[in-house]
Amino acid sequence: MDYSFDERGDAMVVAIRGRVDEATWVAFGVGLSDGIEKAQQARLKRMIIDLTGLDYMSSRGLRVLTVAKREGQEAGVEVELASPNDVMREILAISRYDKLFKITDTVEAAP
Amino acid sequence: MLARFWGTRGSLPVAPTADIIQKKIAHALVASDGRKFADEVEAEKFVENDLSFAAGGTYGGATPCVEIEAGNGSYLICDMGSGLRQFGLDSMRRNAGGHPKVYNFFLSHLHWDHIMGFPFFVPAFDPEAMIRIHSGHPDAEEALRRQQEEISFPVPFDWLRATFEFVTLTPGETYEIDGVKVETKLQHHSHGSYGYRFTDITGRSVIYSTDSEHKLEKMAVEAAFIHFFREADLVICDTMYSLADSVSMKEDWGHSSNIVAVDLCHEAKAKTLALFHHEPTYDDEDIERMHQETIRYEELTRDGPALNVICSYDGLEVRL
Repeated sequence: MDYSFDERGDAMVVAIRGRVDEATWVAFGVGLSDGIEKAQQARLKRMIIDLTGLDYMSSRGLRVLTVAKREGQEAGVEVELASPNDVMREILAISRYDKLFKITDTVEAAP
Repeated sequence: MLARFWGTRGSLPVAPTADIIQKKIAHALVASDGRKFADEVEAEKFVENDLSFAAGGTYGGATPCVEIEAGNGSYLICDMGSGLRQFGLDSMRRNAGGHPKVYNFFLSHLHWDHIMGFPFFVPAFDPEAMIRIHSGHPDAEEALRRQQEEISFPVPFDWLRATFEFVTLTPGETYEIDGVKVETKLQHHSHGSYGYRFTDITGRSVIYSTDSEHKLEKMAVEAAFIHFFREADLVICDTMYSLADSVSMKEDWGHSSNIVAVDLCHEAKAKTLALFHHEPTYDDEDIERMHQETIRYEELTRDGPALNVICSYDGLEVRL
C-alpha cells in the first residue's frame, strides 16, 4: 500500500494504491493524518480519499477511515471518499460505511 | 466435540408475533404454487428444501446459552440467558437416561441477558445436582443471588437444593475441567466480559467470545484476540451490529460487528465462524441478509483458506 497527495481546488486529494489490511493499516492511518494536517495548513476544507488504485480494504482500513473522519472534524476538514472499485463498493455497503461517508464515483465528481 | 445453541439473541428475548407467523405461512403457501403434499413429512421437506431459512423457520429469540459437548461427560454451558430454561429441561431428560448431574457453567459476564435464565433452571432444585459456576468475575455469586431477591423474584437463591461452587478463573491460566482444557480472556465490555477457549483431548477447539467490543483506538491489542482464536475449529462471535453502527451511534455499547469477526478469524486461521448475539430488533430476514453479506465479505477479503461462515440459531448443533 502506498499513497500520494495532490492539492485540487478546495480539497487535498489522497490517492491510495494497493490494499489496506492487517499489514498496512498503521501506515494508512499515518498517511490520512498527514493528509488532514496538510489540508489544514493549506486552509482546505476537504480531504478526498481517492480509492481508484485501492484493491480492497478490511475492517482495519475502514476503522482508520473513522479515525481520520474524527481528526478531520477537529481540524475543520471534511473527509470524503471517491472512485471505489466494485469490490470496495460492496465492502462499503456491507459494512454500512456508505451511510457514514460521502462517496462519489470520481474525484472530479466530488462537489 | 459439539456445540449446541440454546439461545442466540442479544440483550433481550424476542418472539415472533401472530402477524409474523401469518406472513411466513402465507409466503409458504404462495411459494408452494398449488402443490399437493401427501402428508406433513412431505410438506416439511418442501419447507426445508424450497424455502429460505428465514422464510421457513426462525433464528429464535432466547438470549445466550450455548452447550459444549466435550470431555468426560459433565455438562459445559456458556452463559445463562433465557435459553438456559430449555437446556435445563432437556438435561433432566438426559439425566433420566444416566447422564451425570454435573453442570459446569462459564459466564461471559453478569449482565441480565446472560443470567436471566438461571432462576428458571430446574436442575438447580435437584439435591443430586452439582453446579459449578466459572467466571472471570469474582462477583458472579452476588449477581445470581441478587436477581433472586424478593424485589425481583419469588424464589430466593437459598431455596435451591443443588450443591453450588463458584470458581473465579484468571486470564492467562489454563485449566483442566472435567477433561477439557479451558482458557479465558478479558474483553472490552461494561463491567468487563470474558471469552473462553475450550480444547478437547483431540485438540479440537471452540471459542466463545460474546459481548466484546473491539475499539477503534485499540486495534493494536487485537493481536491478543487473534492469538486466542488461533486455528480454532469454531469461533462463536458477537456480531450484533454493522461495523458502521459499532463505530458511530452504538460505539461503547460493548459489541462487535460481522466484519471485524471475519477479519479476526481470517487472521487467526480459524475454520468456522458462527455469527452470534443477534440484535433483538432484527427480524429473520434481517439476520439472513446479515449472514449472506458476511459470507460475501469473507469471499471478498479472503487471502488464504476459506472461512466457513454460519449463522447461529436457537436449536443449531455444530459437530466438530
